[in-house]
Amino acid sequence: MQFAFYFDQTRCTGCHTCAVACTDWHDLPAGSVNWRRVITYEEGRFPDVSVSHISFSCNHCQHPPCIESCPENAIHKRPDDGVVLIDEKKCIGCHACEDACPYAAIQFRPGNDSKAEKCTFCNDRLAGKEPPICVAACPMRALDFGPFDELSKRPGIAGRVVHLPDCSWAKPALIVKTK
Amino acid sequence: MSGDVKKVPVGCGHNCGGACLLIAHVEDGVIKRITTDESLPDSIEGPQLRACLKGRSYRQRIYHPDRLKFPVKRIGERGAGQFERVGWDEALDAIAQKMLDIKEKHGPTAIMNISHSATNCHAYYNAACLNRLLNMFGGQTTLESYVSNDGAVFAAFHTYGTVFTANEREDLLNSKMIIMWGWNPADSIWSTNSSYHVALARERGTRVVAVDPRLTNSAAVLASRWIPIRPATDAAMLIAMAYVLISENLYDHAFLDKYSLGFDKFRDYVTGAEDGVPKTPRWAEEITGVPAGRIAELAVEYATTKPAALVAGYGPCRVEHGEQFSRAAATLAAMTGNVGVAGGDAGIQIFGYPIMTKVMQFPGGYCPDNVSVHFNNWADAIIKGRAGGYPSDIKMVYSVAGNTANQLGNVRKADRALKTLDFMVVHEQFMTATARYADYILPVTTQFERNDVFTPWLLGHYIVSSNQAIKPYGECRNDIDICAQLANHLGIEKYNETSEQEWLEYLTGNAGISDRDKFKERGFLKYELERSHVAFRDQIEDIENNPFATPSGKIEIFSQSIADLQKPDVPPIPKYIPPKPATEASEFDLCLVTGHGKKSSNSMFYNLPWLRDVEAQAVWINSGDAEKRGISNGDMVKVTSAVGATTLPALVTERIVPGTVNIDQGIEFEMDSDGVDVKGCSNAVCPDGHTSTAITPYNSTRVCIKKP
Repeated sequence: MQFAFYFDQTRCTGCHTCAVACTDWHDLPAGSVNWRRVITYEEGRFPDVSVSHISFSCNHCQHPPCIESCPENAIHKRPDDGVVLIDEKKCIGCHACEDACPYAAIQFRPGNDSKAEKCTFCNDRLAGKEPPICVAACPMRALDFGPFDELSKRPGIAGRVVHLPDCSWAKPALIVKTK
Repeated sequence: MSGDVKKVPVGCGHNCGGACLLIAHVEDGVIKRITTDESLPDSIEGPQLRACLKGRSYRQRIYHPDRLKFPVKRIGERGAGQFERVGWDEALDAIAQKMLDIKEKHGPTAIMNISHSATNCHAYYNAACLNRLLNMFGGQTTLESYVSNDGAVFAAFHTYGTVFTANEREDLLNSKMIIMWGWNPADSIWSTNSSYHVALARERGTRVVAVDPRLTNSAAVLASRWIPIRPATDAAMLIAMAYVLISENLYDHAFLDKYSLGFDKFRDYVTGAEDGVPKTPRWAEEITGVPAGRIAELAVEYATTKPAALVAGYGPCRVEHGEQFSRAAATLAAMTGNVGVAGGDAGIQIFGYPIMTKVMQFPGGYCPDNVSVHFNNWADAIIKGRAGGYPSDIKMVYSVAGNTANQLGNVRKADRALKTLDFMVVHEQFMTATARYADYILPVTTQFERNDVFTPWLLGHYIVSSNQAIKPYGECRNDIDICAQLANHLGIEKYNETSEQEWLEYLTGNAGISDRDKFKERGFLKYELERSHVAFRDQIEDIENNPFATPSGKIEIFSQSIADLQKPDVPPIPKYIPPKPATEASEFDLCLVTGHGKKSSNSMFYNLPWLRDVEAQAVWINSGDAEKRGISNGDMVKVTSAVGATTLPALVTERIVPGTVNIDQGIEFEMDSDGVDVKGCSNAVCPDGHTSTAITPYNSTRVCIKKP
């Protein structure tokens, strides 16, 4: 089974509650890493303007380029749910995974000895049968999670991060209902 | 470390209009995480009370390094921000002594109470504690006006005879069309789950249109069409829509005959029979910048799609003659028969379900010797006093749960006024723009450090149990306890002899809380309604027995009570009245609007690093306007009005109508040596004073903008 995120762009007002909730739950410092990000796109000229937001994190790819890039085998994909996790003890901070990730999902805090970090799919919450914090936080109920195969049946584009460069070869576990 | 995590429900409600649920995860007396309502099921009928990004970042607010921990006393010049630590007893003694002195020499009304709205959802710990203290002390100068929505309140009373004019949000699911007119719930919240309900309605096939000077986050995502309009011209567009309904005979004659008064007079104005000027879409196009065809199209769509909700925000009535916007919107709602029906809207949104019948607020009491001035004249009244026609000479200012120096127009005048004072006391959690001027700042708890019950602000039929999660921070005390201790120092007896728990039981006596422990554990109590709450349903179903609360018992499109006020600038039927010509018209060539951004609730929250990461303060300017002025995205610019100036980065965008700029209100000012704000505070350029209907006309401020 492969877990995935579902993102309904038709509902997202770009409020950033998902990102702030993630930051609080994982106690991330301000001005540093953002495991979940919201990006706003403005297109067109007044008065024919369109605005869309996208909320995304690590997409827990089915062919994760970060795993192949790591010289220390510090990144693994959990067989039972496809969640990609970094072993902080093994990470030597070489930044190879940061370069390999097409979504800038793997990040490093400022400083020379920082380790790679990213969305854990709220591993800790999943263990207690709770949804990832971003999903539970969204005031618009625009985020959801579940098995990739099931979510792929809902309306949306599966396995590609809209607005971002097409890296569908990595098979990101994200389904986006586009605006 | 015990490692045990205790989850404590705490309310979040700070004058954004929401009342949400936060869950504090407490470990060894420290909040480690904050989550929100995760109770199941999260259904469309009873959605979770999910908090926004501001509530979710509350941990940074509680433990902010700048949080005030102990009482301080001013040691430098007033306003210079230099303070030293003092003990509670020393502070309370000095404050009491000074208050008695001022009362002796100048009378009690020499004390102005500038408390405001940060805790107005809180049943017990709210700003009424100071009102009570000063009333028992013998009087005070109070401040009147709602600041946010005086135009809507004026219009509601004169048109409908009440401020209970709003349908509950879930009723939007019954609408076939929603017009978001100057209403941006995605950023400004306006009651928990507002945006969610608009999204749900749209997914069920409801057409959603936004009329707004900006393509707000609500307009951009929730609406299928954005109609950009010049600010302060909304009444003209509504009146032209009425013209279309009249000329195409698309209005509900039977509804108007049965439920309204004075439509004929309004019709004569609209058609031009009164003044020779037919208020056609072409007439309105000139004023509003909205193409005539678009106006006609929206009018027809609104009149033929039933039921339809014209949801009017407060921004469009926070302008000169802003009450005409609300009066015109109500008239259009009546013309289309959308008042008092499920899925409709009365055109003015103030209170929905009367939650105050369930939970009372701590009583501030009353003193017959009180005098009052308009909120937006507070600084002027301090400077001019009786000689300027005000009812008192102010020597002292006292503030609880507010940041009045920053949140009312003309901060330069606020700075001048506060520097004339003999004495000033502020209860605060942070060194705010207002607190900087105080003689004594007394540190207060947040709601995480005390027990309370919250109610929604305008809409919502539920209450929130806000429970103490942690011990008071540093030496912080509760506002009400500070007032009680000060009462002792002042020799006032019986200020408060009742415990927190007894008060909360009393204030919630009618709330129907059958199991108080369960309420506290769950964090909320929702009231099931038999059918969705619709304002004026009783009137529409049976007008004979349930007349409107107006003098005529009908919806007053013509209002004799307005005519009786004999205000030359307030006609008894809704009209578009152009703003008075600016004397400096050529210089101030842009109109300012002041949105409510997602990054703050009034002046709260923007000091939190997590929220600064989300969105930086900037002035929105259309790309065409920017190009003419040689302004590029991110350039520092100076925005100047007749009252002052502010500097901030420019956000060059297509999302705002040309000729208009937007500065989100709420960012705290800091003035340079020339008196120019350097932080992007909208009230550095918005005016003080008010219209004849008590409106603070911030959104019709004329400004110019250039690179410094």
